Amino acid sequence: MGADDASPADMRRRSATPGAGPLPLDEDTLERLLAGDLPPHEAPPGYAEVAALLAATVAPPRPEELAGQEAALAELRAVTRARTRPARARRTGRRRRRLGLAVVAVAGALATGGAAAAAGGHLPGPVRNAAHSILITVGAEEPVPPAAPPAVRDTGPGATTAVPSGPGPTGLVGPAPGSPATGSAAVPDASTPDTKGLCRAYLATQDKQAGKQLQAVSFKLLADEAGGADKVLAYCQELLPGDKSKEDKHKTPPDDHGQGQGLGQGGPPPTTGGNQGRTRAP
Amino acid sequence: MIGPDFPAVLAAAAAGDEAAFGLLWRDLQPRLLRYFAVAAPAVADDLASETWMGVVRGLDRFSGGEPAFRAWVFTIARHEVLDWRRRAARRVTELPVTGLIEPAAVDDPALDAVEGFSTRAALAQVAMLPPDQAEAIVLRVVAGLDVERVAAIMGKRPGTVRVLTHRGLRRLAERLGADIRVRRVV
Repeated sequence: MGADDASPADMRRRSATPGAGPLPLDEDTLERLLAGDLPPHEAPPGYAEVAALLAATVAPPRPEELAGQEAALAELRAVTRARTRPARARRTGRRRRRLGLAVVAVAGALATGGAAAAAGGHLPGPVRNAAHSILITVGAEEPVPPAAPPAVRDTGPGATTAVPSGPGPTGLVGPAPGSPATGSAAVPDASTPDTKGLCRAYLATQDKQAGKQLQAVSFKLLADEAGGADKVLAYCQELLPGDKSKEDKHKTPPDDHGQGQGLGQGGPPPTTGGNQGRTRAP
Repeated sequence: MIGPDFPAVLAAAAAGDEAAFGLLWRDLQPRLLRYFAVAAPAVADDLASETWMGVVRGLDRFSGGEPAFRAWVFTIARHEVLDWRRRAARRVTELPVTGLIEPAAVDDPALDAVEGFSTRAALAQVAMLPPDQAEAIVLRVVAGLDVERVAAIMGKRPGTVRVLTHRGLRRLAERLGADIRVRRVV
């Protein structure tokens, strides 16, 4: 503080000049000065200008000092959005976990429902593997389309007695509603993916009579949709016409020979369409 | 100062309410700019923006009253100043020194009017003090913080902050008084 230390000598000289030299302030005066509570005319000798100067440092804002708020608000929006994103991710995580549990439940049901040989070996694996094994078990051979997870979840109960020999060339999840190439007008309103999944599991059974042994709840669901237990077969065949067209289009030889194929996918829909099955108006 | 509404304003701003945040911003932005005008005048606007980035990101974690909030904001502001000085020091070997130091606007005509300093001229006068003294005074006066908070922000003891403030004000008084005397003589 060389400059500071030099000033006392300077100050003494000034103090000799009447009314000139600023003296050190006492604490109370200092606090009042800093707080703006010391009007310049009440300030000790030499501090009136300081009081005015300090007052100017806290003068009301000028317009240019209040420009640029938008940038800060943009940051606020970005940060607020970012904070809500983890919450969404958590919800998604829960959904995935729920789905995973459902898939595991399906796998467990398969194991106890007669398909243990097919699915059992995969159970210890990750949920994804388990789901995959189930898809194969009930007839999926293609990568699961995005709509698959809900179908897997909801098809689960219906697959409990599904036999490993599935229909083959079609996925567990059928084409999106409205996309079937044939008979689209005849597709029941209730052709939601889960209904289709139930149907596919039902059709995949070796014996349509055995299909009625589908777990009571899921079969009842289908029966309700179809309008009666005896109409489930027709209903499902009507619901899944796209599977046939898909097979035809690709000319894919079935790589398995489950009877379900013949009835469910391979068979021409018209034969069953006339079979009292059209229980719902398009 | 926002006053009794501050807790509600802070909570709303932390939840993303732009009107509430605007209240905080309008209260503190001019003070920040004036602090930077003394501490880092060449980059006052940039450092103010950086400070608000820090405030926005930490807003939902802050808890406390209005004085504590101000102290927190100015703590961030001071870190921005220190960061900038470090960066500037690294650049000093590459840049001409004259480009680094912005001379204070001492030629502001308003400075001549004893009773009527402009804000800019007043801050320029403070900026000519030794940095510690200038910072202590600005944090006390412009930021409106008490000795203890200023001491915490500056990393010094309260007694040291008092001494710095005393010296700075006396120096200002000397300079201004000398200025007046010079004009009287001339």
